[in-house]
Amino acid sequence: MAGKPGTTPTTYSPSPTTQKTRRPIFNENDVDWVRPDGRGFHQCRPAFFRTGAVNAASGSAYAEFGNTKVIVSVFGPRESKKAMMYSDIGRLNCSVSHTTFATPVRGQGSEHKDFSSMLHKSLEGAIILETFPKTTVDVFALVLESGGSDLPVVISCASLALADAGILMHDLVASVSLSCLGKNLVIDPILEEESYQDGGLLITCMPSRYEVTQLTVTGEWSTPKINEGMQLCLDACSKLAKIMRSCLKEATSTSQE
Amino acid sequence: MEEAAAAEVVVVTPGEVLGKASQVRAGRGAYVAPHNNLVYASLTGFRRTLSPPPNSPDQRPTVEVTGHKAHGAVPEPGSVVIARVTRVTARVASADIMCVGPKSVREKFTGSISTWAGGSIFGEEEVSLAIKNMNGDKAPGSYGFDIAFLPTMLRGGQSRGEVAVGLSCKRQQDVRATEIDKVDMHLSFRPGDIIRAVVLSLGDARAYYLSTAKNELGVVSAESTAGETMVPISWTEMQCPLTGQIEQRKVAKVGG
Repeated sequence: MAGKPGTTPTTYSPSPTTQKTRRPIFNENDVDWVRPDGRGFHQCRPAFFRTGAVNAASGSAYAEFGNTKVIVSVFGPRESKKAMMYSDIGRLNCSVSHTTFATPVRGQGSEHKDFSSMLHKSLEGAIILETFPKTTVDVFALVLESGGSDLPVVISCASLALADAGILMHDLVASVSLSCLGKNLVIDPILEEESYQDGGLLITCMPSRYEVTQLTVTGEWSTPKINEGMQLCLDACSKLAKIMRSCLKEATSTSQE
Repeated sequence: MEEAAAAEVVVVTPGEVLGKASQVRAGRGAYVAPHNNLVYASLTGFRRTLSPPPNSPDQRPTVEVTGHKAHGAVPEPGSVVIARVTRVTARVASADIMCVGPKSVREKFTGSISTWAGGSIFGEEEVSLAIKNMNGDKAPGSYGFDIAFLPTMLRGGQSRGEVAVGLSCKRQQDVRATEIDKVDMHLSFRPGDIIRAVVLSLGDARAYYLSTAKNELGVVSAESTAGETMVPISWTEMQCPLTGQIEQRKVAKVGG
């Protein structure tokens, strides 16, 4: 429609932002900055695991990595729903949900709807499905507080819960994520660091067999950085697996007494 | 009773190496990785080494991992289960499996006892032999087709179980195609009975296939219509102690 003189222009261009931009946590040219929680770039948060938290479930585990708190319950092997077709190997059913108070802004957890399928992909390689034909193992993960690196913590905690439930597995599954911030690689990023990342890398591996069950790369990466990142993550995974094993052994010996 | 060769208590977790496949055999809770021939644990628990039986050609000890927690049991073919009957029709009785062996399950599994499922009365070989030996000149049964049709039915993909519904006798000389199945479920079970059965197979998507075709299998405990626990008086009858009423059941031989 022909505009009358003096009306708004028919083209649109974004006006310069008037609100204050967030101060980045690091300077682009800085190679040597300190992380908000004081850790080194290649230092993971201290890990806390506990199994047997949920009595009603076949197996359960609770994990706390700094501010990220996750609880996972495993039910099964139990009967599949009647509607499902017969299957001569077992089925795995995963569901990850966030509490409403998990994120700083209430109710933002539903942005990560794909966590359930990613958890499924990372666990299905490790479970020996042939040992429970026709039945289903249900894994329910609940993120109580989201403090960054949620999915790796969920995966490691789920693998502990499966071991606690007595499901036959090829190996424990440990998972670590990495962020690329400018020129630096920081491992086990917190929420703030994740929001500034140029690229993210998530590795899930079976440390004793040195096999990777899942690798997720997002953002922009150069090949040498990916190689370096993968190596860092795999080392961190094997250290994390040691902590997980000691937690399981402690739980077994305390229950024997 | 073989003695455990290792006396020390070692806790292992999934993925821990238990030995080389050339030196030990993988028992329960352990598995052999094909690519590097190592035996790994697949459970969290205590590792035990069992010495091999003296006569076997394979003299490797067996290493197994026993879980530390009482994990819920899953029905497996060959295991004896305790179940509660939920539904009875003329040919099929459905039951909820509550215990597998000595352990109770965490959540019930569905089982079904039928007169022709997977050979609970007739085996596959018996049915095949019987059909082969039948002549095509007998009178048609009440399905409306005569015996000559049966091989055609089988080639057409009907399961042997479905065909066996019409066969009522085990002996291959004496097979008649009739529609009467001599076993009536209502004379063996009623809803609410506790039965002991053996798992025949994994069955289909809906239920495990069970069988009570042995003396020690069958109804272990049942309530009469008056509400009292009945007393068995023979292999096929139970009596209510309150009213004296006799009801038909397939009684299990308990003890002895």
